[in-house]
Amino acid sequence: MRSAWMRREVGVADPVLQVRDLSIAWRGADGRANRVVDGVSFDLAAGGTLGIAGESGSGKSTLARALLGHCRAGSAITGGSIRLDGDDLAALSEPGLARRRGRVMAMVPQNPLASLTFHLRVGRQLEEVLRWRAGLSADAARLRAIELFGQMGLPDPERLARRYPHQLSGGQRQRVVLACAIACDPLLLVLDEPTTALDKTTEAQVLDLIRRLRTARQGAMVIVTHDLNVVADICDRVLVMQHGRIVEQGPVGQVFATPREAYTRVLLGAALRVENASRARPAAPGLPLLEVTGLGFRYARPSLLRRAPPGPPILDDIGLTLARGEVLGVIGESGSGKTTLGGIVTGLLAADRGRLAFDGTELTARRTREQRRRIQMVFQDPLSSLNPRRRVGDAVMRPLRLFHGLDQRDAARRAARLFEELGLEPALLARFPRQLSGGQQQRVAIARAFAAEPDLLICDEITSALDASVQAQVLDHLAAMQRRQGTAMLLITHDLSVVWRMARRVAVMQGGRILETGETEAIFRKPANPYTAALLGAATRAARAGQPELVDATG
Amino acid sequence: MTVLLRRPAALLGLLLVALHLAVAIAAPWIAPFAPTSLLDAPLEPPGATYWLGTDDLGRDAFSRLLWGGRVAMLVAFAAGAVAVLGGALLGLAAAYRRGSFDDVLMRLVEMKLAVPTILFVAIFVTGFGQSVPVLIVAVGIIQMMGVVRTTRAAGIVLMEQGYVRAAQLNGEGGATIILRELLPNVADLMAVEFALRASSALLLVSALSFLGLGISPPTPDWGLMVEDGMALLESEPALVLAPALCIATLVLGINLAAEGLSDALGLDAARGGGG
Amino acid sequence: MIVLVLRRGALSLVTLFLLATFVFFATEVLPGDALDVSLSADEMAMMPPEVLARRRAELGLDRPVLERYLGFLGGLLNGDLGRTIITRAPVADIVAMPLRNSIALAGVTLLLALPVALAIAMAAAQAKGRALDNAVSGAAIIGYSIPEFVTGLLLIAVFAVWWPVFPATITASTDDPLGVLLAAAPLAIATTIIGSIAYLGRILRVGLIEVMAADFVERLHLSGIPRWRILWLHALPAAMIPGLSAAALYAASLVSGVVVVELVFAYPGIGAELVRAVTRREVHVVQAIALAAAVCVVLFNLLADLGIAALDPRTRRA
Repeated sequence: MRSAWMRREVGVADPVLQVRDLSIAWRGADGRANRVVDGVSFDLAAGGTLGIAGESGSGKSTLARALLGHCRAGSAITGGSIRLDGDDLAALSEPGLARRRGRVMAMVPQNPLASLTFHLRVGRQLEEVLRWRAGLSADAARLRAIELFGQMGLPDPERLARRYPHQLSGGQRQRVVLACAIACDPLLLVLDEPTTALDKTTEAQVLDLIRRLRTARQGAMVIVTHDLNVVADICDRVLVMQHGRIVEQGPVGQVFATPREAYTRVLLGAALRVENASRARPAAPGLPLLEVTGLGFRYARPSLLRRAPPGPPILDDIGLTLARGEVLGVIGESGSGKTTLGGIVTGLLAADRGRLAFDGTELTARRTREQRRRIQMVFQDPLSSLNPRRRVGDAVMRPLRLFHGLDQRDAARRAARLFEELGLEPALLARFPRQLSGGQQQRVAIARAFAAEPDLLICDEITSALDASVQAQVLDHLAAMQRRQGTAMLLITHDLSVVWRMARRVAVMQGGRILETGETEAIFRKPANPYTAALLGAATRAARAGQPELVDATG
Repeated sequence: MTVLLRRPAALLGLLLVALHLAVAIAAPWIAPFAPTSLLDAPLEPPGATYWLGTDDLGRDAFSRLLWGGRVAMLVAFAAGAVAVLGGALLGLAAAYRRGSFDDVLMRLVEMKLAVPTILFVAIFVTGFGQSVPVLIVAVGIIQMMGVVRTTRAAGIVLMEQGYVRAAQLNGEGGATIILRELLPNVADLMAVEFALRASSALLLVSALSFLGLGISPPTPDWGLMVEDGMALLESEPALVLAPALCIATLVLGINLAAEGLSDALGLDAARGGGG
Repeated sequence: MIVLVLRRGALSLVTLFLLATFVFFATEVLPGDALDVSLSADEMAMMPPEVLARRRAELGLDRPVLERYLGFLGGLLNGDLGRTIITRAPVADIVAMPLRNSIALAGVTLLLALPVALAIAMAAAQAKGRALDNAVSGAAIIGYSIPEFVTGLLLIAVFAVWWPVFPATITASTDDPLGVLLAAAPLAIATTIIGSIAYLGRILRVGLIEVMAADFVERLHLSGIPRWRILWLHALPAAMIPGLSAAALYAASLVSGVVVVELVFAYPGIGAELVRAVTRREVHVVQAIALAAAVCVVLFNLLADLGIAALDPRTRRA
């Protein structure tokens, strides 16, 4: 019963990278130092792959840059050492670091589009690294660049080299920055969120490429990510960070199977586990509330001054039904058209084609007051969904006065009750949005939506801007409100675990179409469509990594 | 305000503006002589009676200096107010409505950008005569176009925010959305814009007066005083340099205060201050 | 690329058309007509009605507004700017040479100011937050707070009165060759350049600082590419894009500045002509100068747009 991670464990005896007691601080505007990396120590063996996992603000990106001896302006290493290949990067001078960067250690940055110089052809940008860092001649660099692009799996490398960054797809850009980073075959390769901007199909391909690079090269790899599924997929060790400290570290299989720390359990808890018994989800009661048939949408029609963007429509022949009190999950990646669909149902956008029926009557972009009251929405970013210049009580009382004609006193009383139902102190009504936490802001937005007493609530990625520990809380409150008021919900998200938790039925979208619709339970356990299967495969890696025999089977 | 006071440059700016404002308001009481009365022989040298001497018509140069910012400041601040209030409402309306209203407005803004400001006022003055109300309207309209541009850009970003979406979904009217949701969120920008517009209006008004197209004699005005004294630069430099210094320190004061304000509010004054 | 040029060109034409309309209505329709504008109230009262009517007929002012407006636009298309009201001289002849001289002054200013502003901005951006940067920012804010006529007078006071190395005013005449004219105007050129450097340097500095904080600069830094290469090859062209937009916006202010500076130094350009025309209420000359200046600014904007398109491949898809 020796598992894969135990075999990989052997390498750590001979570390390439040794980080000891590393601390990095930002000096704030008030002159006080603020530690963002605090006493971090770890080792990494040659050929090893370490995943640094944590949510935004955990200090993982700052740590990643420090591994190249770099701190962003305003921050500095305040203690500890980073030993790489015998040198202490924390003690090296800037010229000494510059000599090693690109050759000994290299970085694949987070946002490939912004990380490539927009006004230079990508071939030239790779050649620059090859000429200045690998010391090749101009001709040799040109040939080697084409060769490297080919190795990165880029189609027609010679033509591609003559393109500008904005002309490439997301996956192609990621491959170009990867090529730039490995051009000098560095000992340590740091990848910062290498797949965050990519769709699941492309993510799988890029992860495949990274896996191939790892076996082809001797060096070590550090992958910084918020996505435990990516860690499960290609790392052999994992280091979980929170508030600049290491919460837990160890072999992936071990940490994922038996997490010792509560925070690691929270992060893992947010990951999808279809194996578990499904939660009690609201039953689908009777009559249909919303019927969508043959819906189509394109962006702004061409006019004299504006040309219509070419390409397929944003939405194409969408059909779905939603019963009273039912929760329907709409799953899709960015660009699938799911947000546009939400916009049309709420009336923010007008469809080009197709029909929308609500409670038996036709819905257009022009709505009656009653229709507006009955269809409400909660938005993705909690902070931007509340007016920063107005007290949050204002936001909740506005629909009460607008739709129910309550006077100031009754509206305040009703708003306080809504706050209590959502687990918020009524005293918070007098606060401004910035004075609340993200989870509180999102609950205020939910309170505003429920204040109208809607029959249909559209939730667009309402947890994606929240920390894992807060997500569950917000979803629980939302589910409780939904059950109490018997509201139907359209739950738009890219996060399969949200749908698994909340929705009895699910629709899977890709490229503006609905691929399949059905019971969540059935689709998640046995997806009929290959794309749905890929989405599920990507989302359940972390859960599977907790089961050593599965790691053996896939790893 | 406290953030503003922590920046020495901004503080200096505020002090300069406050000093000029105080002098302008108090001029009728603190000026030793009436600014327009012919008192003595022309071009008396500076002395105990006439601190800066008399000008080419025998008027007290010091009294004229104390009075000389009043009309220019009135025009500049009034035009600044017209520009910021009108510009913000138009800009936000354009951000809210988009479509052809926005297109037409943007054409007008571009048209203004194509006409040098001095020519723009010259057209107005040619058509409507040379008076303070005409100046306020002409300078106000010019400055307004810049405010339309910046508030429209800010408004377009605000229109994407969830709280504006939520208001739209609830069927709130255009006026409610503009006044309740958008306007409070461009208040910072408007404060900075007001300072920037007032300073550039002041530059414009004094340049116009210098050219003889702005404030007309015998009103005491710094720009006019510089123009009158230019020929005497060699013999009576104080008659030119004193009003020139006043204009420069007032504009500098407003600009420093605007810079400090935008810095404290996290806005970009260099971008806002174009045209 | 060609589509882009055509589109921008068409938009510029729309702008100019709107402007011509505005100029016509602001000077000839809203206040009455050209004669109302060119005569003072006293003169109007003195003149017998039949004389007024005859002069209206001579000037074609008795025709309906729409007809006059179309005639005005038609004249513009044919390059006919009309005649002066008092002397009946062709406006084009009056405006041509001063316009040439003003364009030369503005052109020389931009040619000299842009590289200097860029150099200063680069030095300041490199030293961000340190003494040099603060000094540059301080000088810039003082530079653009001082009106051009004050700068000009200070230069005259220093370099022509107290330490007479340059002439205070320009002795060359309107029709002199440009070389002679510009050589005679060192202080005038210095005045316009000082203001331009202050304005452009400030904007370029902000643009450069923004670009130096961009992700692609960090990536290059982290791949060990030397700093000078990052600055010259990657950051500078990127920072030139906002710089060009700023320069385009600045063109109109530059013309305003040139008008004032011309009067300070008695430089024979459109500035002097404009003031003369406004005070004599020569409507057609004011119209012609406004339109000519606008054409220059619009052309300059077009050039700046093309420069941006050349620097930024993302804008080339029209």
